[in-house]
Amino acid sequence: MAIKHHHELRDPVHSFVTMTTYERAVVNSRPVQRLRHISQLALSSLVYPGATHRRFEHSLGVMHLAGEAFDVLTRRENVRDEVRDLIPQLNADEQLPYWRSVVRMAALCHDLGHLPFSHAAEHETLPDGYSHEKLTELVLLSPEMRDVFSDMVPSLSPELVAKLAIGAKKSHENFDVWEAILSEIITGDAFGVDRIDYLLRDSLHAGVAYGRFDHSRLIQTLRLLSPVQGPRDEDDNSEPTIGIEIGGLGSAEALLLARYFMFGQVYFHHVRVAYDLHLIDFLKSWLPNGMYATDVSTHLETTDNEVWVGIREAARNSSHPAHDPARRILERDHYKLLYARSPSHREIWSEPGRAVFGWAVDEYGPDAVRHQRPRKSGGSVDFPVVEMGGSISSSLAVSDVLSNLPPNASDLVFIRPDLRADADSKLKKDGKLREIFDAAAAREKLEEDVDVVNDMPTLDSNDMEGGGA
Amino acid sequence: MKRLVRAAIVGALTDALVDEGSWAGETHVQKGTFFLQCAAYVPLGYDFIMYKHGPFSFSLRDDLVSFRADGLITLRPQAPYGPRLAMTDQGRRLRDTFPKTITRYNEEIRRVARFLNSRGVGELERLGTALYLRDSHQEWTDKELLSEMRKLKPHVREQQAATALADVRSFLELDSSTAASRFSANSES
Repeated sequence: MAIKHHHELRDPVHSFVTMTTYERAVVNSRPVQRLRHISQLALSSLVYPGATHRRFEHSLGVMHLAGEAFDVLTRRENVRDEVRDLIPQLNADEQLPYWRSVVRMAALCHDLGHLPFSHAAEHETLPDGYSHEKLTELVLLSPEMRDVFSDMVPSLSPELVAKLAIGAKKSHENFDVWEAILSEIITGDAFGVDRIDYLLRDSLHAGVAYGRFDHSRLIQTLRLLSPVQGPRDEDDNSEPTIGIEIGGLGSAEALLLARYFMFGQVYFHHVRVAYDLHLIDFLKSWLPNGMYATDVSTHLETTDNEVWVGIREAARNSSHPAHDPARRILERDHYKLLYARSPSHREIWSEPGRAVFGWAVDEYGPDAVRHQRPRKSGGSVDFPVVEMGGSISSSLAVSDVLSNLPPNASDLVFIRPDLRADADSKLKKDGKLREIFDAAAAREKLEEDVDVVNDMPTLDSNDMEGGGA
Repeated sequence: MKRLVRAAIVGALTDALVDEGSWAGETHVQKGTFFLQCAAYVPLGYDFIMYKHGPFSFSLRDDLVSFRADGLITLRPQAPYGPRLAMTDQGRRLRDTFPKTITRYNEEIRRVARFLNSRGVGELERLGTALYLRDSHQEWTDKELLSEMRKLKPHVREQQAATALADVRSFLELDSSTAASRFSANSES
């Protein structure tokens, strides 16, 4: 019987995901298999019971889509002459299978650094300078993964796989135009296949229709194009980025709308956010020094399973320091929503949630109140579009939908359930919110003197927006 | 530096770029902010890496999304080109909350906007790359910088690269002399 060199896995989103024997060895490695035990959406299953899927199947889906996108973008008839002139790799047909393999493996491995429950507590439980992307890099550069990549034919550079998997945003390395495009296939803001897969997969498992769109059509229309930002210089030869042919515009609009609705309805759902906060409280108390270990060996041994055991033990033991958040998670007794930002409040003061949080802490103490302002996401995305006659326009110039799509903005304050009625009645008194916002603005103005004197040449990490899906 | 103070400064830069005839798209604001931070020493704290179209900051991109979500800046599509960024009335009210900060950095903001004026994306890429290299390799000769720039951006012609490096040097020399006189004036007062 002939030896089989290609293998298939069934997948609920893509029907089949195929891989070579060499790629299967990477899939079977311990770091990739660990992702079978990392939930994709943390405690979202407490809101959407079907959302119990894992990072493992998402990673396979991203690998599958990365290969499809790479094939479309590099197909000879799809590459414009001016782009071919700028990127010599597109002219070396014999090298394209190697690059395809690099992109697929970077896609497969892009989430290896995820902590238990994925993003839920990453910001609060890793030391400064660490993130899941940093851990991904450490895992990919470990002896274990180096051996796996060196056994492939052709062998792959772990450094290159790591660079593309992490993407330009988190790697702090310089990217040439080819590396930037390969990384953009996976992590791109508009059409990154990571995003395409998680929207499709999360909506399927959560049982919500918002995340669906015609991704096949979208991928078939992807093209490398020079962006359009203002009138061109006479000799402007801008480096290309990933855009689309006009025929894919409807699918692109659907993707970005899907993202908008999924963030509002699933990722930033207020009950899910409340459980994220309880999980953070639990982990800060349960982990040694409140932090995850960052060495590769311990990281690979830590999954949702170990944390769930800890949650159950702490919930049973009323003297355990992490008892309260553990019990809240298991008994579904979360803090209640006290305040959610509205557009009219934003017009009075730009950080209304922070202002209400400050007031509530003064009234009820820090243990009774929580504030979560997840990272803003989405909104209008500017990418180049090839129109029918071949000219290139900005997506925002050809699509009313895209040009009017707002970013997701969530700003939530939670309070202990027994205090909500009292706090709610105080906030609803005439003029109370206005008074709180005006006080916050006045405080900010007073602090200006201090800030002007103490300007620091780095971003204040406490002032950056954390969390998110 | 606090997020809202950064919003006020980036918003003021956007207004200044428009006043000087810039298209004020995201690339223009990215490069303007890079000059403001790296050549005019306004301590915004953004991380810039060498990326497509020169130095680029993902933390600034995140901030711009966040400022839009907070209604401080908005996008104004202009067919067939990409959108312009513009400060909203709400953003201007926020800016007016920080009069000392804006006064302190206004001269630098105006000077960067005047320097970048109506230059297109290609020229901004060259100037931004030239500044990035000059800042990263202060001990290098012009010849070494030119060689590195051609390596990083092979689509940029030699003459274009040399012009960009010279323009940036002029900007930096002028800036260091004005900064010196300003600091001297401050210390005397």
